[in-house]
Amino acid sequence: MSELTRDQIRDLMGEVMKAQGKVLPSDDSADLREIGFRSLDFSELALRVEDEIGDELNFDAPGLRQIAKVGDVLDFIEQLQSA
Amino acid sequence: MSDPTHVPPSKVVLVSGGSRGLGLAIVTDLIDSGVKVAAFARTVTPELTALAEKYPDQVHVGPVDINDEKAGQAFVKEVEGKLGPIDGIVNNAAVGQDSLHVHTSAEQIANIIQTNLTAPLVLTRFVLRRMMAKGLKGRIVNVTSICAQRGYPGLVAYSATKGGMDAATRSMARELGGRVLANAVAPGFFASEMSAVLGQTQLDQIVRRTPTGHLTEPEEVVPVVRMLLLENTNINGQVIVIDGAAGI
Ligand SMILES: NC(=O)c1ccc[n+]([C@@H]2O[C@H](COP(=O)([O-])OP(=O)(O)OC[C@H]3O[C@@H](n4cnc5c(N)ncnc54)[C@H](OP(=O)(O)O)[C@@H]3O)[C@@H](O)[C@H]2O)c1
Repeated sequence: MSELTRDQIRDLMGEVMKAQGKVLPSDDSADLREIGFRSLDFSELALRVEDEIGDELNFDAPGLRQIAKVGDVLDFIEQLQSA
Repeated sequence: MSDPTHVPPSKVVLVSGGSRGLGLAIVTDLIDSGVKVAAFARTVTPELTALAEKYPDQVHVGPVDINDEKAGQAFVKEVEGKLGPIDGIVNNAAVGQDSLHVHTSAEQIANIIQTNLTAPLVLTRFVLRRMMAKGLKGRIVNVTSICAQRGYPGLVAYSATKGGMDAATRSMARELGGRVLANAVAPGFFASEMSAVLGQTQLDQIVRRTPTGHLTEPEEVVPVVRMLLLENTNINGQVIVIDGAAGI
């Protein structure tokens, strides 16, 4: 299966947040702590992306610790897909 | 040797992963204590080479991957030829982990278990067989971790291997019937290449939760390893935690 586009990843991120009664802002510079997107939410998003592309996206935790904004999440998943 | 109920101090000690970090500190300390030391790692560092050059009759080093069983056995025989029969082993070599279990590939999990649990058990078995065949007594020190007893995110497979080594330590002590003293040291987090992946926030958090107010240092683990290898104690089958009470 092919890689997801940035917009498709954003849609999935929105779904992860919606399931918790939260809303994903449209602004890429929104702060993850402020919008309540935690590291296990990132895991859930990565697993949903894996489901869509039919491949595993394994990664170490240090990269994850650099993620602070919505745009960072999308960048990270895009990079993982193309790695 | 005359006392049949005591295990004498080790005279020739094999240290796995002696090239840097805690392993190198253990090697240096044992040399200072007058013990003959053999050390290996996949890459022999300049520090280890310098020790071997400075103490040619007391130290033997070589590049060995602990997962290469044959290379490990050849190294043991080489050491015996040069320094004499091995009667002490410090299982220190290990690889770390910093990835959530769900994002760690099956292959990575297998590699951690192979390096940190299977390989030291196989190497210890080989050394023990040679020790016992010669009628020697000896000592085993396994370097495990506080992670075997307390939960830490990102360290699931690693913790499992350290818990496995703690459990093996106890069973070895029973099985070896007092001919070999088997113990483990379980340090808390200390600064090294292995722990370099931890973020500053995590390190600060560990220090905050440690009653002694600082991360464990290799220099604080070394005397305990030395005691277990050289002192006349009846300590056997124990896991000694060295973490400033961070884990209690
Ligand atoms: N750092 C901590 O916070 C901490 C806390 C508790 C317990 N520990 C334990 O303490 C011990 C030493 O850790 P450290 O922090 O000093 O680690 P380190 O600096 O990463 O050193 C690990 C040593 O093991 C060797 N090694 C790794 N894989 C090997 C392989 N396949 N074959 C042969 N040698 C191998 C390394 O050399 P090469 O890479 O060249 O092979 C190096 O000499 C480990 O058992 C670790 O689990 C560490």
